[in-house]
Amino acid sequence: MCMGKSVYYQGGTLVLREVDAQERPPAPFKLIRERWRCEGYHYGSIQPYLEEQDVRDAVPRWQPLNLPIQEVREAHDYQVAALAAWDMAGQRGSIVLPTGAGKTFVAIQAIHRVNRSTIVVAPTIDLLHQWYARLVNAFASEVGVYYGGEKKILPLTVTTYHSAGDLIAEHGNAFKLIIFDEVHHLPAPSWGEAALMAPAPLRLGLTATYPEEHEQTNGRWRVDDLIGPIVYTKRIEDLIGQQLAHYRTQRLRVDLTTEERARYEADYATYTSFVRLRQLQRSHGPGWLMELMRLSAIDQQARRALLARQRLLQLLGSCEGKFSALDALLREYVTERVLIFTEHNAVVYDIASRHLVPPITHETGAAERKHILDGFQAGHYRVIVTSRVLNEGVDVPEAKVAVVLGGTSGAREYIQRLGRVLRKVENRQAVLFEVVARRTIEENKSQRRHTRQEGD
Amino acid sequence: MLTADLVRPRLRLRGSELSIDMLDEHNAAWLQTAKDLIALLQKYTGQPLATWDRGLESYVGERIDYVVVRGLAKVLTDAATFTPLETPLPPVQLRERLFAYGPVFATPQLFQPRARYEVMQNAAGELGISSQDVEAALFADRAATFVLKDVGPEWTPEELIARYNLELARGVLYWASHITIEVASNYKDLWKYIKFFKLMFWAEPGRGGGYRIDLDGPISPFVSSTLRYGRQMAAFLPALLLCEQWRMVAAVHPPQGGRAANYRLDYTSSLRSHFKQSGPFDSRLEADFASEFEQKMGNKRGHWRLARESEVLLLGDTVMIPDFMLTDDRDETRKIMIELVGFWHPQYLRRKVEKVRAANCASLLLLVYKGLNVTEEAFQEAASEVLFFQNKPVLKEVMETVEKMAERLYGPRRKRARTGTKRGTSKRPRGSLINTSPTKD
Repeated sequence: MCMGKSVYYQGGTLVLREVDAQERPPAPFKLIRERWRCEGYHYGSIQPYLEEQDVRDAVPRWQPLNLPIQEVREAHDYQVAALAAWDMAGQRGSIVLPTGAGKTFVAIQAIHRVNRSTIVVAPTIDLLHQWYARLVNAFASEVGVYYGGEKKILPLTVTTYHSAGDLIAEHGNAFKLIIFDEVHHLPAPSWGEAALMAPAPLRLGLTATYPEEHEQTNGRWRVDDLIGPIVYTKRIEDLIGQQLAHYRTQRLRVDLTTEERARYEADYATYTSFVRLRQLQRSHGPGWLMELMRLSAIDQQARRALLARQRLLQLLGSCEGKFSALDALLREYVTERVLIFTEHNAVVYDIASRHLVPPITHETGAAERKHILDGFQAGHYRVIVTSRVLNEGVDVPEAKVAVVLGGTSGAREYIQRLGRVLRKVENRQAVLFEVVARRTIEENKSQRRHTRQEGD
Repeated sequence: MLTADLVRPRLRLRGSELSIDMLDEHNAAWLQTAKDLIALLQKYTGQPLATWDRGLESYVGERIDYVVVRGLAKVLTDAATFTPLETPLPPVQLRERLFAYGPVFATPQLFQPRARYEVMQNAAGELGISSQDVEAALFADRAATFVLKDVGPEWTPEELIARYNLELARGVLYWASHITIEVASNYKDLWKYIKFFKLMFWAEPGRGGGYRIDLDGPISPFVSSTLRYGRQMAAFLPALLLCEQWRMVAAVHPPQGGRAANYRLDYTSSLRSHFKQSGPFDSRLEADFASEFEQKMGNKRGHWRLARESEVLLLGDTVMIPDFMLTDDRDETRKIMIELVGFWHPQYLRRKVEKVRAANCASLLLLVYKGLNVTEEAFQEAASEVLFFQNKPVLKEVMETVEKMAERLYGPRRKRARTGTKRGTSKRPRGSLINTSPTKD
C-alpha cells in the first residue's frame, strides 16, 4: 500500500502527502503542524515542482463542459481584442471595460474557450440572478446557483462573494476557471478569501473600475496576485453616448385617509419630539438613527420613538392612496409594460396578489426570476412588482412605465438606476412615476432630491 | 442560531476581554417572560409564521428589553417546525397560471373583462378546490406562510433561559477565528464532534494531564483572523460542555468591534449541553467483546482490567482512540490497547490502516474480521500485532496474544505485587498519555 508523494486539496489549501518535514518544497508551501501546505491559488505556479518531483496531482476534479454557444450576438472589436489579450496572458488576468460594454458577453466567450467547469462570482444576489439568466440563455443548459437561498452546484455555477468562501472551501477543486465580476471588490477581507482559496489555474476578473495600486492590497493580498494583471482596458470615453436613457419623472401626491392622517400625526409627534428633544441629529450627525436604536434598548422614550418611526414608515408604504394611484396607473397604461417598485416586501406581495402580477423579491428563486423577466420581455407578463433594485444590467428594456411607491432611501437608489433601465425605444419617451404621500416626511425627502437633481 | 442583532447588544467589552450579559436562570421576571413565550408559541400552533411574528411583536410591545425577548423567542422558533401548506399543484405553477391574466382589477375593465374574483373562481373550479384555498396556495412556498406544525420540545422556563444563554455563547463564537481548549476527559465525544464539524485541530499533551487543543481551519494559518470557521466553532461548543474539566479561550472579532477580543469559558460556567453523551459502545461486536471479557475474565479470574476508549494516540492532525485498554492489575505500567476492526466500508478501512501505520504502536493489538478484503501485508509496516477472527474474536486467543505482547514489551510479569494498589478500586490517573512517534521514517 505504498502511496508515494501527492498533493491534494483541503478546504482552500493544497497539502502535500508523504513529503517529509526535512524536504524543501518551493516557497508557497509552509510547514504547518507537520504538513506542507499553501493557499489554493498557488496551484498554477507549483506545477513545475509537481512534475520535477513526481508528485501525484490529486487536486483537479474539474470536467469538460462541451456547451455550444447559443447566443447569436456578434462580438464587438474590443471584445475580440480583450479575449485575445486574455488568451495571450495564459488565461489569467483582468479585463477592464466600462459599464454596459458587454462584460458578460466576454465572460461567456471565455467560458466557451476554456470549456471546463467554471464558477462565476458576483457581488450581489441580483447580479447572480442576472448572470444565471444570461448563462442559461447563452449555453441553453442548466446552470448551478449557490447562495443563501439556493444551493445547487453544477459544472457551470454562479455564486456571490458572500457565499463563494463556503463553496470554494468544499468544492473549490471542481472548477478550472473562476470569474470575478466587479473584481475591484477583492481587497475586502472576507470577499478576497474565495480567490485565495480557489485552486482554479485560470482566472478572469471583470470591472469598470480597476483598483488603484494603493487600493489593491489590504495588507494580506493584492488583486494582481490573486487574479493576474490587467490584460486589457477599454476607456469609457471610447464608448460614451450610446446608452443614455430618455425618460421623464412625474411626481404624484396622494392624500392619507382621515384615519391614516390621525395615526401618522400621532406617531410623527412621538418620533420627532424625541429626536428633537435629544438633539440626536446634531449630536450624532448621519449616525443618529443608530444612536436612536441603541437608546431604544435603554430608554423607554427612545423605544417609543423608534416604534413610532417604524409604524410611520409602514403606514407610508401601504397607505390606501398609493394603492388607488397604482390602480389608476395600471388602467391608464393598459398596453405598456409597467415596472412597480416598493421597498416593503410585504407590500410587493400585496400588490402581486391584488392584481395577479408576478413579484420579484429576495425570496424569488433564480429559475422563477428568470421566467418572470423573460415573460416580461416577451410580453407574456405586462407588469412586474419588485422590492429589488434591478441593476442596470438587468434586461428590462421593454418597460416604458415605472412606478415607484415611496420616497425613502431605497427608492432613491432605485430611481437613479432606473434611468438606465428605461431606454428609448421607437422614439417614445419612458415615464417614471413617483408616488408620495402629501404632507409627510416622504414629500420632504422627495423634494430635497428634486432640488438636488436640478442643481446638478 | 441567534442573529447578530440579538447577540451584539448582550456583549460587554473590558479591555480585550469579552463577556456576555447572560440571563439569571432564577430571576423571576425572566422566568415569567420565558413562561409567557412558551405559552404564546403554543397558542399559535396551526398559524402561519407571519401571524406568529405579529403576535410576538405585540407581546414585546414597548419593552426596552426587546433584544432578550426576541432572543428567547428565536430559540423557541428555531426548535419548532413550520411546514408549507399542502397545495393541489406547486405554487410556482399556480402563479404562472394566474399571473397570465394580470393585471386584474376588482371590477371588469375594457381590456380586462374578467375581474379578480372571476379569475380566482375559474382557477378554483378547474382545480376542484375553493377560491379561499387558491388564495392560500398562491404564495404557499413563502416562509412567511409556513404553518406552525410542532412547537418542538416541551421547554420549562429554566430550560429555555439556559438554552438562550448557550445560544448567546455560540453567537459569540460565530465571530471566532481561533479556539484553544484544555480538556481532561471525555475525549471520544470531543474528537467525534471536532471531526463532525470539520474543524482542524492540533492537540498536545497538557501540562497538568489532559490535552491542549488548538482549533481552526485549513486556511487559518494564511488568513490569521478569518471568521470562516466561526459557524463550525459555534456548532461545536455544546460538545465541549460534555467534558468534565475544561477551559476555553476564543479569539473573537465582533462586527464593529475593532480589535480582537478574548472570550473565555470554563467548566465552572453554568452553561449546559444539549448534546447527548454517546453510548459506551459503537457496535454490537464491541459490546459482546466487553461482556464476554467481563464474564470470563472479570472479577477475580484474571489480572487484566478492561477499560473503554480511555487512551488517545495523537497522530499529527488526527487521533486514534483504541476501543479498549487492558491494564495489568499488578503493574499499572503494563498496558495493551485493542482495536476491533469489524465490518467496515473499504474506504474507512483504508484510513484505519493508514492510522495504524502512522501510530507505529507496538502495544496495539488489532482484531481484524477475516471477511474483510484485507490481508496481513496491509499491516506489515505497522508495529502493531494483528489477529484475524472468523465470526467474533476468540477471547482465549486474544488473551494469549495479549500475554505474549506484554511479555515482549514489558518483560516477564512480577509474581505477586505486595505493594500494588487494591484490585478493582484503583483508577488510572486521568489523562495519562502514551506518546508515540507520529510518523514512521
